[in-house]
Amino acid sequence: MRKWIGATAAVSALALVTACSSEGASDGPSDGDGGGNGETVTLEFAQWWEPELPEGVLRGLMDDFEEANPGIEVELLSGPYASTREQVVAGAASGTMSDVVGLDGAWVSDFVDQGSIADLTALMSDAGYDDGELASQVQLGGSTYMIPVVNFAYMLFTNDGLLAEAGVDAAPSTRSEFEAAAIAVSESDENTSGWILPLSLETPNGIQNDVMSWAWASGGSMLTDDGAPDVNNADVQSAVDFVVGLDEAGAVAPGAATLKEQDKVEEFSSGRVGMMISSLAHINTLRESSPDLDFSLHAVPAEDGYSGERGTPYASWGIGVAENSENKEEAWKLVEFLMSADANGELANAANAFPGNSTAVPEFVTQDEIFQSAFDVWNEGYPANEFVGLPVAEQLMRDMAEELQRVLNGDISVEDALTATQTKWESQF
Amino acid sequence: MTATKTSLSAPTQLEVPTRAHVIRARKRKKIALIAALTVGALFPALPVVWMLSSSFKPNGLIFEYPPRLITEGFSFDAYVAILTDPEKLRFFFNSYFIAGSVTVLTLFVAVLAAYAFSRYDFKGKRIINVVVISVQAVPPITLLIPYFGLVVVLGLYNTYPGLILTYMVFTLPYAIIMMTGYFNTLPRELDEAVKVDGGSPWTALWRVLVPISVPGMVSVGVYTFMIAWNEYLFALTLTRTNDMRTVPIGIQLLMGQHAYDWNQMMAMSVLGCIPVLILFLFFQRYFIGGMTAGAVKA
Amino acid sequence: MTHPPETTEARAAAPLATAPASAGSGDGGTDNGADKTRGGWRGRRSYRGTVAPYGFLTPTFVLLLVLMVTPITMVIGYSFVDRVIINPNSEFVGFENYAQVLGDPVFFKAVSNTAIFAGASVIAHFVLGMGFALMLNSPMIGNRLKAVYRAIYILPWLFTVAIVAVLWRMLLSPNGIVNFFVTELGFAEEQIAWLSDPSLALPAITFINIWAGYPFFMVSLLAGLQGISSELYEAARLDRAGPVKQFFNVTLPQLKPIIISMALLDFIWTTQQFALIWMTTGGGPIDATEMVSTYTYKLAFSTYDFAVASASAVIIFLLSMTLAFFYVRHQKSRD
Repeated sequence: MRKWIGATAAVSALALVTACSSEGASDGPSDGDGGGNGETVTLEFAQWWEPELPEGVLRGLMDDFEEANPGIEVELLSGPYASTREQVVAGAASGTMSDVVGLDGAWVSDFVDQGSIADLTALMSDAGYDDGELASQVQLGGSTYMIPVVNFAYMLFTNDGLLAEAGVDAAPSTRSEFEAAAIAVSESDENTSGWILPLSLETPNGIQNDVMSWAWASGGSMLTDDGAPDVNNADVQSAVDFVVGLDEAGAVAPGAATLKEQDKVEEFSSGRVGMMISSLAHINTLRESSPDLDFSLHAVPAEDGYSGERGTPYASWGIGVAENSENKEEAWKLVEFLMSADANGELANAANAFPGNSTAVPEFVTQDEIFQSAFDVWNEGYPANEFVGLPVAEQLMRDMAEELQRVLNGDISVEDALTATQTKWESQF
Repeated sequence: MTATKTSLSAPTQLEVPTRAHVIRARKRKKIALIAALTVGALFPALPVVWMLSSSFKPNGLIFEYPPRLITEGFSFDAYVAILTDPEKLRFFFNSYFIAGSVTVLTLFVAVLAAYAFSRYDFKGKRIINVVVISVQAVPPITLLIPYFGLVVVLGLYNTYPGLILTYMVFTLPYAIIMMTGYFNTLPRELDEAVKVDGGSPWTALWRVLVPISVPGMVSVGVYTFMIAWNEYLFALTLTRTNDMRTVPIGIQLLMGQHAYDWNQMMAMSVLGCIPVLILFLFFQRYFIGGMTAGAVKA
Repeated sequence: MTHPPETTEARAAAPLATAPASAGSGDGGTDNGADKTRGGWRGRRSYRGTVAPYGFLTPTFVLLLVLMVTPITMVIGYSFVDRVIINPNSEFVGFENYAQVLGDPVFFKAVSNTAIFAGASVIAHFVLGMGFALMLNSPMIGNRLKAVYRAIYILPWLFTVAIVAVLWRMLLSPNGIVNFFVTELGFAEEQIAWLSDPSLALPAITFINIWAGYPFFMVSLLAGLQGISSELYEAARLDRAGPVKQFFNVTLPQLKPIIISMALLDFIWTTQQFALIWMTTGGGPIDATEMVSTYTYKLAFSTYDFAVASASAVIIFLLSMTLAFFYVRHQKSRD
């Protein structure tokens, strides 16, 4: 019996040893791959896109890819968007990262630091790929790590019914027009607000889409020319002042501090908010949930008198390849396929997003008036999202959101908040 | 509310208690109790009623103001969508299979450990006790990465045993502590009697202690089941493909990047809770009526 | 898993148990002293000092050792190095990460929020759980009716935390049903932003946690109530003790061991509550609902500072260990 206990102890110890060696194993091959010796190669493609798209679209594209590339099979691994990042980090740490991964621009810098995603510039040159058709690439230190597959532009949505009731006949194009319209809508009915500002700390992307967009729309920037933080400059200050002014005028929907992007859309869709800055992905959500809603899309208003190009904020479904993938060559083929004009156009079409291939023109743009006007706005301005590629981008947004919440709570001034944000950001860079 | 009032305003003259009075007083008490239970039930039930109501609404009307319990467009579409989707049904199967296995195995392992803690003194008992309690105090989120590595190395990644063993680790400490407590309330004479008849501690445990501890085991089992049923973070991280995943992940998959599928989310949690509720209704008879342990207690 | 060896183990333990001579060899030691303080049936020597208890504990040992102690050890290791996981070449930095955590005022804010959140939750869980359990245990109502009520009262327990969070966000939103009643019934002029007002957010999420967690206490106490001998109540009634006195003199003392165990466990679990807080307030507004769990999460997955996150986790672990230590000591002296 004691022997038996001894044996158990030995087994446990052994388990401990194997466990501790897990770190050593992390640079080993990811399992589940077929291995590259002429047999069928199975690529794992981890993303959150499949549940976002109409059923079967992504799988259909993968079938097309498999047909065009005999010997390569693609396994789609889909997860919820909110947890994708943790999964990629954990997967990279234990060597089980999928060969091809969906990425958000805000994550890229951290994954590059971790050494978990591969240098795509090298893969492109190995494959002899001409990147002329790529609308954009996310680069760090001169190498590409992520390619935006499709882009979701953020624009001003106006509930034209509510605006008309409040006596506003034209969509605002400048900040002062916007402020006047927002106040008018708020005053027209006690249950409506002019604008909605999601500042949740869980997903602080409201800072990017709903706050910084005001600065970008007027040509402002939150970074210095060499990419260091410069968040307390005059452009950003005036944008934040404007946002805070809207709140003080009672034109912002209550509960900002816990609202998320999804809540913003629910409020707009329920007809309680006159205007919001939101993703084109929401056009279909709104049409489905509120078929009677009369809304239109416009560029984000600029400072009065500004006549330059307007930056349009966007979020991307980006793609990257795992550094520890054994099948980088095949993985690149999948990336290349998704970026080809046909496949990219089809994906963009299904996602209601703008294609990452600059030659692709998705059908919905030519067939739908609202999308047509959005596409025009997109083409007139320039894509602006300064958070893409920054280190710990999400934490930067969260830092700023927290300071902005203090301002809205009446604790500190805008100037102090931006100075505090600047200090926090400097320590993160 | 009104029931409470009537019971309070009932006549309270001082009289010699007769049989009729006793019966009347008992009836009054009963009405008061039922009233209190009904009012109290609003606390757990109202949010659930709202969940149920939302599951029948079209997504566009879930956030309407002023809110209504039943709106136009009332439909079972959300339920149909879930019940006809094989992937989602698989989530339900996985959840039941995993939670069920965890419950049975945790109870088995915990009963053995609790028996040792309750009936023996041995070296290191105290330290083991502290360890068993405090290992649960490490925030699971920080364990995620090393734990994930461990599971991959042990070859348990994306398998049922991976999740089952993980949940056993979560639930064991509580189960051991509670079962030790229940065993401690059972007199040692029971074991002695078995020994006199020539039985071993093993028979004493399974033939005597376990049968009369069933109510305790049911309550520990319910808890264990719930933990395994509701866990999200590890269920997601330790699995790779949707055919291994559980209901909480299925629900989370409906919370999209841009919009939530409200009615389906609500319908899925309603569907998820019904079988558990039935199971509970079945087992709850063990909470009723005197249990042997109380009777034999000194 | 390990069933067959377990069986032989336990069977073999019996003859050994009756032979105290074989017991001395290494298992006696420190516990002998404590033993003498124990009264009652547990003081009997017959089962003492055999290896049988280790046999019974083996499955638990193996599981906890491999799947819990190992990762915890790794986390402790991480807490002493720099830029772990993200950077392959991490260096030993001693207690630097601990200094960083302990030098951060937000950490202390998080600890105090967690203490309030967990303390209030545990007390309310106990009060509600006890009250409901007593009502549901009453012999006055029929079993069928009781079954229905029991089913209703455990409802909050049946939902995964993501749904609890989403549901309550919906109920408590400025345009939600709670505000509808609050304004319609005239308790407030304006809609209240329960979760977004820094002074209301902590009470609001504590309330949600109370709602979600009391059934655990209720079910355990309900089970505990079955174990109280009816003779004790009869004796109390003979002493002319009313229901209140019976509760304080019989019910409460009888349930005390269960209550203390559950309060401790509930406290430890509540301090770890992450998803509920994260999905309702994200630790905000500002830092009004920042908890040690959200604080640690942000370090790990938002700034990718796993080393500092590990240090924070170890500090939390040590705090809870102290709590567990006192608990075990208390149990000892009670015996």
